[in-house]
Formats: sequence, C-alpha cells, structure tokens
Amino acid sequence: MTRLYAALMSRVCDALAVCAAALLTVAMLVIIWMVVYRTLGYSTSWELELAVFLMVCSLFLASPYTLKTHGHVGVDLFTTYLPAAWARPLMLCVMLVGLGVTLFLTYLGWEFTVDSYLKGDRTESVWAPLKWPLYSMMPIGFGLTAAQYVAQIAEFFNPPPAHE
Amino acid sequence: MNELQIGGLILLSTLVVLFSGLPIAWGLSLVAMSFLVIFEGPNALANVPLVMIDELASFALLTIPLFILLGAAIGSTQAGKDIYESLHRWLDRVPGGLVIANILACGMFSAISGSSPATAAAIGKAGVPEMIKRGISARLATGSVCAGGTLGILIPPSITMILYGIVTETSIGRLFLAGVIPGILLVVMFAGYAWLNSLLQARAKQLDLKAPESVRYTLAEKIEGLRRVTPFLIIVVMIGYAMYGGIATPSEVAAIAAALAMALVIVIYKARSREDQWRIYRETVRESTMILMIIAAAAVFSYMMSLLYVTQSAAQWLVDLGLNRWVLMLAINVFLIVAGMFLPPVAIILMVMPILTPVLEANNFDLIWFAVMLTINMEIGLITPPVGLNLYVLKGVVPNVPLKEILLGSMPFVYLMVASMVLLAFFPQLALWLPNQMMGAG
Repeated sequence: MTRLYAALMSRVCDALAVCAAALLTVAMLVIIWMVVYRTLGYSTSWELELAVFLMVCSLFLASPYTLKTHGHVGVDLFTTYLPAAWARPLMLCVMLVGLGVTLFLTYLGWEFTVDSYLKGDRTESVWAPLKWPLYSMMPIGFGLTAAQYVAQIAEFFNPPPAHE
Repeated sequence: MNELQIGGLILLSTLVVLFSGLPIAWGLSLVAMSFLVIFEGPNALANVPLVMIDELASFALLTIPLFILLGAAIGSTQAGKDIYESLHRWLDRVPGGLVIANILACGMFSAISGSSPATAAAIGKAGVPEMIKRGISARLATGSVCAGGTLGILIPPSITMILYGIVTETSIGRLFLAGVIPGILLVVMFAGYAWLNSLLQARAKQLDLKAPESVRYTLAEKIEGLRRVTPFLIIVVMIGYAMYGGIATPSEVAAIAAALAMALVIVIYKARSREDQWRIYRETVRESTMILMIIAAAAVFSYMMSLLYVTQSAAQWLVDLGLNRWVLMLAINVFLIVAGMFLPPVAIILMVMPILTPVLEANNFDLIWFAVMLTINMEIGLITPPVGLNLYVLKGVVPNVPLKEILLGSMPFVYLMVASMVLLAFFPQLALWLPNQMMGAG
C-alpha cells in the first residue's frame, strides 16, 4: 500500500513538473510577445501580470518534484559530524519537521485563499484579475509537497527493493 | 529581552535548524513563524502567505527562472566542450595554454549561463580529463575549473547579482556592468597563475614547455572552432545590447535570450527529442523552485526580523560601534566568508543584506561596489569546504580525482580572489567605472 502510494506520488510529481515547465514556457512567450507588441507601438495591459502569475504557479506546482529529486537545498552538517547511528533518526526527524512546516503553510495558504475568494479581491491593474486563483497555488503546492513528504516517510519505513 | 538578545537567539536557532539538513526554505519559514508566534502571538501568522506571495509576484524575479532556463539549455549541450576546444586551438603554443583555455572557457561559459555549478560541470567535463591526459597535474586541472566555475556568479548575467539588486533595490543593469571588469580581472589573474604554475612545473621537471601539449592546429582548424562558438557570442552580445541599450528590462532580455538559447540547442545541437527537452526543463524548474522558495521563505524571515525590530537594532548597533569603516568592511567580509562556507549565496544575500544595507550606506560604501565584493566573497564559499558546491560538482564530473586534490588545487585561486578583493578596496573604480560610463553616475 505504501509503495503504491509512493509510486503514485512519484507520477504526480513528474506530471506537475511538466505542467510547471509548460507554464514557464508560456510565461517566456508572453514576455516575448509583450516586447514585440510594445516595439510595434502598442501599449500592453495583461501581459506582465500574466507572466508573473504563470511563474508563481510554476513555482508551487514544481515544489513536490523538487522535493522528490532532493532539489530543495539543505545543509546537512550535523549528519556529517554526528555518529553514524544518529543519521537515520535525524533524517526522519528532518522529514517530519518538513512535513509539519509544509502542512502548516498549506493551512495558512488555504485560509488566505478562502478569505480572498469571499472578498472577491482583484489586482489593481487595468486587467484586474481575481487574486484567489493565484493564491490557491500556495495551498495546492504546499499540500502536494506535504503529500510527497508522506511518501518519503512511508518509504523510509518500508524502503523499495534495491533494484527498483 | 531586548532586540539584540532576540537577534542572537534567532541567529542561534537559524543555524541549528539550517545545519540539521532541513531544506533552507522550510528552515527559514519555521524559525520565522516560531519567533512570530512567541513574540507577537498567533495572529501575526495571518500575514505570512501575503508576505510570500507579495515577494514572489515580482516581474524582476522572472529573470531568475528564465536565465536558469538559458543556462540549462546551454549546459545540456556540448557547448562547453566546443567553447573550450575552440579556445584551446588558439592557445596551443602558450605554456599552460590548456589551463588558460580552460579558465577563459569558464569565463565565457559563465557569461552565457550565469551559473557557477553549471560552468564547473560543463567545462570540467570536457577540460579536466583532457588536461590530465596531457600531463597537467590533477590539482591544477581541477582547481582551475573549480575556480573558473565561480566566475558564473560574477560575470553577467548573474543570479546572485539579480537577487542582490532586488533585495537592496539597486539597478540590476548597473550591477551586471559592475561585475564585468572584476570578472575579467579574475580571469586574467587565474590565467596568469596557471601560466606561471605551468612554467615552473615544466622547469622543475626539466621538460620542454610545450611537450605535454604537443597537439598543433592549423589556421583553418582554428577558424572552424570559432564558427561553433559564434552563436553563443551573439547571445552574449545581444543580452548586453538589449539590456544596456535601454531596449528591454532584465526580465525581457532573459525571456528573449532563453528562447534564443532553446532555438540554438534545437537547431545546432539537435536537442529535439522529448528526453533532451525534459532534461533542460527538469533542471530549470528544479533549480528555479529551490531559489524562489528560499526567496519566499527569506521574505517571511525578514518580515519577522523587521517586526521584532531586530533588523533595525542590529544595523543601529553596527553603526553605533563607531568602527573605522575599513575595519567594519573587513569584519563584514570575514563574517561573509565564514557564512559562505556553510550557506549558499542566495540565502546569505536574502538574510544579511536587509541588515547590512543601512550600515553600508551610513559608512558611505557604494552598494554597487559592495555587490562585487560580496559576490567574490560568495565565490570563495563555492570552493571551500564543508559545502563548497563547485568542489562536489567537479568531484561528480571527474570521480577518479580525490576530493582533497580538488580542494588543494582550488586554494591558490582562493588567495587570488582575496587579492582581487583587496585590489577592489583600493581601486573601487574597477567595479564602478563601467556602470558609470555606460549608465551615468549613480
């Protein structure tokens, strides 16, 4: 069961990273369009804001994949200098704290998004899109990162066979 | 408990949390949220998501993932090898020419990629085995690439400079320009050392100076090598022209340069398969997310420090010490070198600069000049243990060379970096002349 969950999360992380890459590419194309359009003498309105939104979405969607691939950099100095017997408990402790932080940020992000949704907040630009879809990326991204932590903790207790 | 005591407690907690191996982004968030709850109550946490999103929703920050995409695209190809080989063909008659070609290639590659580890990996992969094969000591070969790789965060486009610009609200274009002459100076110093070292090694062994590098190239071969490098030079020139000609903002330039680099690797290096594209994007989203997440967390950390009045008190305390400005600068640099040995440049800039900016201004230090000092300082951290990123990147590229050899090979370059900082302290115009000439006095 835990292996199935870990495999499923692995797929989800990969799929989200592909989405994040696509969003970043769209952001790049939107900026190039903005430069070209402006050079032609027209004024731009939605482009800058959309590009920023896409980058923020990309960031949160790629967070679980970054965790899965050990991309969230940490300084494991204690592991290096403490006796080897401490390494495993410390690793578990670090994962549990990571899970706690991401879960708490999910909760804060959720409260923030719901509040913005209920108020109908919009940005102050000409385009003026609603803010909550952007804010919702925070609980989604942190929530999925927490889910990946759960997968890693499950694998910690039930490691996959070496050949996998 | 006064603000400075709280600050000491925050420093201690941050070090303990960060050294535990917890990702820096979560570590900073944890410390920030804990201190907010303890000293301001749970209600202070309501602003945390807003602080994060406000920090991230910035057009200037888009520069970071886009320049990373540019670097990942170029780094995924044989471009590093091509640049290195092309330079070597022109330097084949110079003693230590291979090492010098290596260092120049690092300088050029970093001007395209903006990333130190990417530069060390790309040039190291091609250069180190070739140098060792031709009789150059593993120590000099790996040390030169390790140090040459650090140029990635000084020579524009530099992610470190972009972050510094955002945190201190200084012009990113001006910062980029400030890095050019010190970057070239470091390249010259590194190359000079490589030349001298090769010369002395050859003399000591009574060798023919050119013997280890006996391969000779015709003019046609040299020109053919240049042809392969030209497209990358065009990107570098284009970035410079668009940014300093006032045509586009750094984010816009980054988008166009990233798109051009992608086109280049597809057309010239035929990176058309899904796997090739995925390799580039995988690297991009991974590194961007890591950096941007740290930025978001550091914003919460700074918010906490400011709300608890620690930033202001620490800055005021440093000013009130009344130290001679150069003693202060020395103390700051010693602190940064030590911090740089343990923490990545991104985290240091985000945590330290909010405190240092008012102190530097109060002591009449130019923030653009200091950016160059700070960046060279951070470069040292990239090649010194325990967490010198370039050391480990290079170890991964050439696993048969012991880490100790790589480290010992890098040390002379550390001394050269310190010497360049002393030079910059005596001659600030080395950093300031170019931005002042091209963008007017700041």
